[in-house]
Amino acid sequence: MKKGIMNNTRPLICKIVDKWEECDDTFGFVLELPIKIQKAKPGQFIMLWIPGVDEYPVGIAGIKNGFIEIGVAKMGVGTSAMIDKQKGDFVGIRGFFGKPFKPPKNVNHLLIGGGFGMTPLKLLTSSLINFEEMQRVHIFEGARSKNKLMYLEWLENLENQEEIFFHVSTDDGSYGYKGFPTVDLEKFLQNNKTPSVIYAAGPERMMKVIFDLGKKYSNVIDMQMSLADRYIRCGFGLCAGCVVDPTGWRICTDGPIFNTEQLEQITDFGNFRRTETGAKEKI
Amino acid sequence: MSLETNLGDIKLKNPLILASGILGASYSSLQRMYDAGMGAVVTKSIGKNPRSGSPNPTIFALVEIKSIVSSVGLANPGYKTFKEDLVKLTEKQTPAIVSIFGETKEDIGEIIEGLNDLPLLAFELNLGYSKENPKTVQEKVGIIKQITNKPLWVKLTPDECNVIKIAEAAVNCGCNALVAINKVKAMVIDIKTKQPVLGAKKGGISGSVLKPIGVRCVYDLYEHFGDKIPIIGVGGISKGEDVIEYLLAGASAVQIGSAVGVAYPENMVRFIQMGIRKYLREQNIENLDEIIGGAFK
Repeated sequence: MKKGIMNNTRPLICKIVDKWEECDDTFGFVLELPIKIQKAKPGQFIMLWIPGVDEYPVGIAGIKNGFIEIGVAKMGVGTSAMIDKQKGDFVGIRGFFGKPFKPPKNVNHLLIGGGFGMTPLKLLTSSLINFEEMQRVHIFEGARSKNKLMYLEWLENLENQEEIFFHVSTDDGSYGYKGFPTVDLEKFLQNNKTPSVIYAAGPERMMKVIFDLGKKYSNVIDMQMSLADRYIRCGFGLCAGCVVDPTGWRICTDGPIFNTEQLEQITDFGNFRRTETGAKEKI
Repeated sequence: MSLETNLGDIKLKNPLILASGILGASYSSLQRMYDAGMGAVVTKSIGKNPRSGSPNPTIFALVEIKSIVSSVGLANPGYKTFKEDLVKLTEKQTPAIVSIFGETKEDIGEIIEGLNDLPLLAFELNLGYSKENPKTVQEKVGIIKQITNKPLWVKLTPDECNVIKIAEAAVNCGCNALVAINKVKAMVIDIKTKQPVLGAKKGGISGSVLKPIGVRCVYDLYEHFGDKIPIIGVGGISKGEDVIEYLLAGASAVQIGSAVGVAYPENMVRFIQMGIRKYLREQNIENLDEIIGGAFK
């Protein structure tokens, strides 16, 4: 295998070597990378090419020894085409794109995600437990119901084996706490006054709620959120399809992870995004 | 030493212009590139109606030749919606050029009328996407000049075998500058999956591979028109030396596109400017006029 940097190339063709149903309408895939490349950092993304169909941004859940794990939720033609793929089929990837999460040391790490937003948070969890005490890592996952929770088994096994804190909630109460994951998050922030950093990924409206909540607590020293739930075209900062106003920052290159100071300046955050035409729409 | 340059009546603080289609979909990214040090910025090509463009992949890099293959398919929000971005951009006195395209002269006339009240630096007519001949170009340039007093730049595509004839038609109808060149037709097929990579299958190429083609086209145009019309060189510029080469071929300014698709586009603009200044210093040149068309002397 040739060692290289995959960043910013034509799609690199990878074989699907594993596929499983992670939860309702959401599948996990493991792709074999044809060349040895630098590790992806938590929060970075790839552009996944389904030959002849579509290409779109996908979060990275894991990367190890020449294999990459991704999660794909059924949302349209492109994602359905991926879900129809089987072991042995080929797809293309471009990346790794974007700026990663930057966790500081010796703080409480509060990871909060909804839906497919859990994908980058899985990689962040794996990375955090390598350099931080388990007790400092808290994961708050929310979904509509139990069959929509991603990485449930993986996270529960982590909780049993180590001492990671896993807070689950569902809107319908079919698993964990009944309600939004923000309820547990707020409870934690009220009861624990040591410095904390919030990491969030998922639907942008949810993240805006988390952001507004986090701002109320002085013990939250930073918030890092992924704005990757937007239309992304080139992935490397050329087309401006994913630009946020009024800063002119590109989600794909200047983001997708933005910190508190940056999020404060992005008036589009939680409010507006650009569509394929470039027109703005309300989120 | 001055980097100022003139394009007819237009004076730019430096010869670097952000090319159409690059970071040009939002007022904020255009403003960012002007603040980074561009002399002016061109928007992405705007049409009469909103268009979603081609399915992805629409843009990817060929690293081995430092070039970009693309077919965005003229995705744009339509001039009525885009006007909101243009209002915000021009409020700050940013020198902005709006790139426009249209199948018919009527469509083009409607767009120009709709945007004519804005304090724009110029319009740029994108000829790269429909089959043009001197007659269609004459019609399109003619209707624009009837409606607006603003300068009109015409962007030429090297895919046409009669570039000079197209340029002549544009110049005869009153266009104020020629922009050369647009992307060159290109495509990439993945041999493992046997599929064209672009969603639209066929597209164009920009980036380093274009530079010698662009320089040749600018040289041909300058040879033909001389000082009669300003020329803006585009294609494969990623350092100061590339800008100098285009100026020597006869360009009065240049546009930069693919090179700003990097993590820190601000640094790229500074790097290109540094390269120009270094050359001017070494050659004892005070202003750019001294080298425009210098390859003919």
